[in-house]
Amino acid sequence: MLDFIVIVLLSAGILFFFGTINGLLRFPDFYTRMHAAGKGDTLSTVLILLGLALYSFHHPSVQDLLTGYKIIFIAVLIAIASPTATHALMDAGYESGIKPWGGETDSEEEVDK
Amino acid sequence: MKLLSLVISLTLGFLLLLATADLPDWGDPQSPASIHVSNYYIENSVEQTSVPNFVTSVLADYRGYDTMFETIVIFCAGITVLTILRRSHRQKKKEVRPRPAREGKDLILISAARIIAPMMQIFALYVVAHGHHSPGGGFQGGVILGSSFILLALAYDLETILKRLKERSVIIMSGIGVAIYMGIGMICLFLGGNFLDYSAWSSVLGVSAVEARSHGMLGVEIGVAVTVMYIMFSLYADLSSGGEMDEGL
Repeated sequence: MLDFIVIVLLSAGILFFFGTINGLLRFPDFYTRMHAAGKGDTLSTVLILLGLALYSFHHPSVQDLLTGYKIIFIAVLIAIASPTATHALMDAGYESGIKPWGGETDSEEEVDK
Repeated sequence: MKLLSLVISLTLGFLLLLATADLPDWGDPQSPASIHVSNYYIENSVEQTSVPNFVTSVLADYRGYDTMFETIVIFCAGITVLTILRRSHRQKKKEVRPRPAREGKDLILISAARIIAPMMQIFALYVVAHGHHSPGGGFQGGVILGSSFILLALAYDLETILKRLKERSVIIMSGIGVAIYMGIGMICLFLGGNFLDYSAWSSVLGVSAVEARSHGMLGVEIGVAVTVMYIMFSLYADLSSGGEMDEGL
């Protein structure tokens, strides 16, 4: 049962990572790309770390429980730090005057900037 | 002149490359270091210092003299950056750079930094104190401590942090870190041991000589951590403000 949950969590994490990479490469401008990176990266990292923490609870001993709690601690830290870093990058981009994508262009040349 | 320095550096480089041929191979079990020194540390460090992590016992005890000067090197680096970059306000009328109006007022950044910074500091103390048992110690813990203050300086602005962590006290404290290290070594002399021979502390601390070496290492690590932390912050404050100490990044 625990194995099943771990597999589901890890697979979901990898799936969200795939979406993150896709968005990071395919979205049209800086803001939408950061949007993909900030949300998808955080969620998938937290999911994978939770899966690993659960896996370390598999054979409960003090050592393994401690490892699991440390992993959960890292997950909490990433859940706080990663969106904040994305926010700071967005803010810096806005301050330095990057124009958001208007949605009007379709041609490859303009998109690949 | 350039040609001359090229010739000199090429000659020296060639000589050094020639000398490496005489060095033992990488990981050679028959090399002198692997035959004598390493085995001694691996076999005896737990009995002699009661520290399970013998990297720490080599660093802070067997080669404590070396580590003391490493700390002094870090101190000198901080002081050198300070000497080169620091300018007083009288010397130069600074040009006013345009700053974002919301600088240092971003609620999200400040809230996140206020949550993360205490966690970093607790973790840094753990790294300093746990260097006896796991990877860690004074240098690493000091860097984490210093970067927690750098994080606060990034989220707020440099002025706010400099009100708490005054420049004068930063420099004095980084010197005090070195003084803690050398002081522990000097007191060993007065207690009848050699310089940095922490077993001399056993009469004062009321523990066995082996335990005293372990405690002495902890004290030395704390001294290293204090120096590294304050020098890290001093380097950031100098470099980010160009020596003006008025506004950060």
